[in-house]
Amino acid sequence: MKTPFISSALGIILLAFGGIILLPAAVAVIDHDYRSTTPFLIASCTSFAFGLICRWHGRFCRNFDTMRRTEGLLIVTLTWIVAAAIGAIPYVFFGLNPLDAYFEAVSGFTTTGATILIDFSLYPKSFFFWRSLSQWLGGMGIIVLFVAILPQFGVAGRKIFFAEAPGPTEEKITPRIAHTAKALWLIYLLLTLLEIVCLTAAGMPLFDAVCNSFSTMAAGGFSPHPQSIMGYQSSAITWIVTIFMFLSGANFALQYKLFLRGKSRPLFTNDEFQFYLGIVVVSSLFLSIILYSLQGGTAANSIRDGLFQIVSIITTTGFSSVDFALWTVAAQTTLFAMMYVGACAGSAGGGIKVVRILFAFKFLKREIDQIVHPRAILPIKIDRVTVQDDVQRQMLSFLLFYICLMIGSGLVVTMIEQDALIGFVGTAATIGNIGPGFGEIGPMGTFGNLHPLTKAIFILDMIVGRLELIPFLAMLCPEFWTFSRNDQR
Amino acid sequence: MDIIIYGTTEFSYLVAARLHQQHNITILHDGGELSERFNNLDVSIVEGSGSDISVLDNIEARKADLFIACSVLDEANIVACWTVKKIADTETICFISKASLYKNFSSITHNHYQTRYDIDSIIWPEQLLTQDIFRIISVPEALDVEYLAGGKAKLFEYRIKAESTIVDKPIKDCNFPANVLIPGITREGKLFVPSGSTTIRLNDKVFFIGSGAALDVLAADFFKHDRKVKSVSIVGGGAVGFMLAEKLERTGIKVKIIEHNIQRCAFLADSLKKALVLQGNGTDLELLESESIAAADVCVCTTDNDEKNLLCSLLIKQMGTKRIITRVGNIQNYGLFEHVGIDVVVSPKASALTEVLNRVQTHSVDVVALLEGGKGEVLRLTLPKTFKEMRIKELDMPFNAIIGVIVRGYKVIIPNGESLLLPQDRLQIFAMKEDSEAIKNFFFA
Repeated sequence: MKTPFISSALGIILLAFGGIILLPAAVAVIDHDYRSTTPFLIASCTSFAFGLICRWHGRFCRNFDTMRRTEGLLIVTLTWIVAAAIGAIPYVFFGLNPLDAYFEAVSGFTTTGATILIDFSLYPKSFFFWRSLSQWLGGMGIIVLFVAILPQFGVAGRKIFFAEAPGPTEEKITPRIAHTAKALWLIYLLLTLLEIVCLTAAGMPLFDAVCNSFSTMAAGGFSPHPQSIMGYQSSAITWIVTIFMFLSGANFALQYKLFLRGKSRPLFTNDEFQFYLGIVVVSSLFLSIILYSLQGGTAANSIRDGLFQIVSIITTTGFSSVDFALWTVAAQTTLFAMMYVGACAGSAGGGIKVVRILFAFKFLKREIDQIVHPRAILPIKIDRVTVQDDVQRQMLSFLLFYICLMIGSGLVVTMIEQDALIGFVGTAATIGNIGPGFGEIGPMGTFGNLHPLTKAIFILDMIVGRLELIPFLAMLCPEFWTFSRNDQR
Repeated sequence: MDIIIYGTTEFSYLVAARLHQQHNITILHDGGELSERFNNLDVSIVEGSGSDISVLDNIEARKADLFIACSVLDEANIVACWTVKKIADTETICFISKASLYKNFSSITHNHYQTRYDIDSIIWPEQLLTQDIFRIISVPEALDVEYLAGGKAKLFEYRIKAESTIVDKPIKDCNFPANVLIPGITREGKLFVPSGSTTIRLNDKVFFIGSGAALDVLAADFFKHDRKVKSVSIVGGGAVGFMLAEKLERTGIKVKIIEHNIQRCAFLADSLKKALVLQGNGTDLELLESESIAAADVCVCTTDNDEKNLLCSLLIKQMGTKRIITRVGNIQNYGLFEHVGIDVVVSPKASALTEVLNRVQTHSVDVVALLEGGKGEVLRLTLPKTFKEMRIKELDMPFNAIIGVIVRGYKVIIPNGESLLLPQDRLQIFAMKEDSEAIKNFFFA
């Protein structure tokens, strides 16, 4: 692995990032809150300074064409870790301790939406804007953004693009990766703008509409309102957010084809989308019935909250329209099951991903069929195409690693916190980038009172979950860590 | 008619053997061993390639009426047809044996830039065979099924079983529904045209011509016809097996398909939506039993090996299948297969031959269907304007043939002795192969 490549690439990203972090400062200026600009200016300067140091260390290397896969994985991982660190700087200035600040920043960038904040009234608007903006950036992927806007990456863009979103299939809408990244960001941006317009029309203040839209499209879950979407007390807003959350959990490449090219077939004939739609419809119906019969309340509200909460959890957004930590165990278990599914591949959401769950079901069905017909050739087909053996193996091992990590992290946190609910639900909520769990860490609760070690484990869970395990797994291999400063190979 | 046949394959022989007595046939032979059989034919054989324009000039291809390219190589056939089109506007028939090429040329949607070099008809024997098998499967119990007059009339073939009520009865006493004719019976491998006093025997294979509705009544009254075909087993996943499975799947029939080549199995499993693909040998008794292959409503053996097909068919038949359809490659084996009791024998070559004969026959007579491996045929002809109006019973035909269908304008009539024949009526006549020439002479002399 060549250090100049890594530091130089990281340098470029830091320089660009230094520019982006000035946006909340602009919001502070518009808000006439000039004192709040300082934390963002300092963060920006730090980012520029580190960026230049990295560039210098990397000898201002501009050609990344010979980048290897391992280098790509490391660059992606470091980008997320460092970006979150820079993003945490303003929080420190607003009075959070460094670990909490980092937790909040990671929770933002990984679109988890787990918060350590307790009292929302202490912070200025620019603070909440930055929380939501960080989610919006993380939603489509920081790397995807830089591949789209920075021409330097060229060929290497392809490697880091797929390292960031290592879904089971490599999907490109256009032949060139930079164009694909631009197209994805375009549809992402357009949907966000549309949601801002809808929410404003439904009576939400503009600032809240912008922040909530950023969090919705990113499947994030940070809201400037301490009571999340429930705080706005409006059915119209709840329905609008439900729709956009649903879209944020669907494959953006297919939505690009639908909305910008007018081709509806690719989305609606997509097996994963159909399965996603099926899960949402069936489980929200189930949940609505539970809510109506056990929880009391009107039918309309039961359906609204059932659907909202299912979509919110399955897309890994983590918004709440009611405090589901107070629901019956049956309703909570339904939501917990959704935590394991996650959104579609190629969406803003996290989790295991619908396509892997779909594959797992088909895999099990195949094993059963094979018992009856031992000589039959039974391929596993997704989207009418047979899943290749190496992809099959990769998906199965992903599931296995996911379960291992989930159990491991869950056990350790349970020991630290003396509470199995926090241990396992918290782990599921952070690895899946969902956000709120049940009980103390529920939607109206906070992660702020947890043990520092738990927070550190959750930070790791969030990053590993966002990068879909693969970069993390690669780093467990000792050979990954062989560095050289040599330019020749 | 001047016909040029490019290639000396078995099919070239079949076409030449069928046509050499009525037409001038030139066969282009491009290298390799020439089968001895060709010397028994009254044709001229020229050495040279069909894609060589000077050779085509030499044999005066510009004067030919029909050019049939059926050499072993698909690409050579295509180029030969194009080359002929450069010389003259001769009708070309091109034989293809690959699915991808067939699709290229027969695609209707990709036809924006049609040129005058385009081939007039593409024949892929295995595709025709698939259609034939599919049609046969679609009518339960019937052995053979042909559609006449665009499907308004049909021809079914049934085997008379022991429990049938019409065994040992003369045809005229059987009370068959109106609009149904019996144009032919195969008894002990021999096809003949019956009369009203002919007695139907056990194990006869009887042809019926009639309108769709009348045949449904017939089937309900005399043959158990209430069961719809729900499942089909196919042995051999070649081109025919694959296409057949695809077609059956689309109509919602459950398909099991056995193929021994593991790569081909993977392809089949990839390309077919629901069919169950089993890897194994069609003669593996254990496999046939454990997957209950014979329990399907119809079994089809369609490997490219005649011996294997036969063995496999006999195994399955012995395991008690209701209907077995077997593919035969070598036309000479046709009789043998029938003799040992295979219900329906089909052959890609017979299917293709029907198609070619359709284009060759003169005097507006053509062959709609070949029956019993070519022993009988259904001819289609249009009566000339000069034809004098008369009743069928007044028609003194010096041969055994039955007018099965009269198409007049948009009307389809299943005639009897009293029916009138008018000029310009289109007739479909069931006849023995050897009488077809006599029929032409009779109506057009």
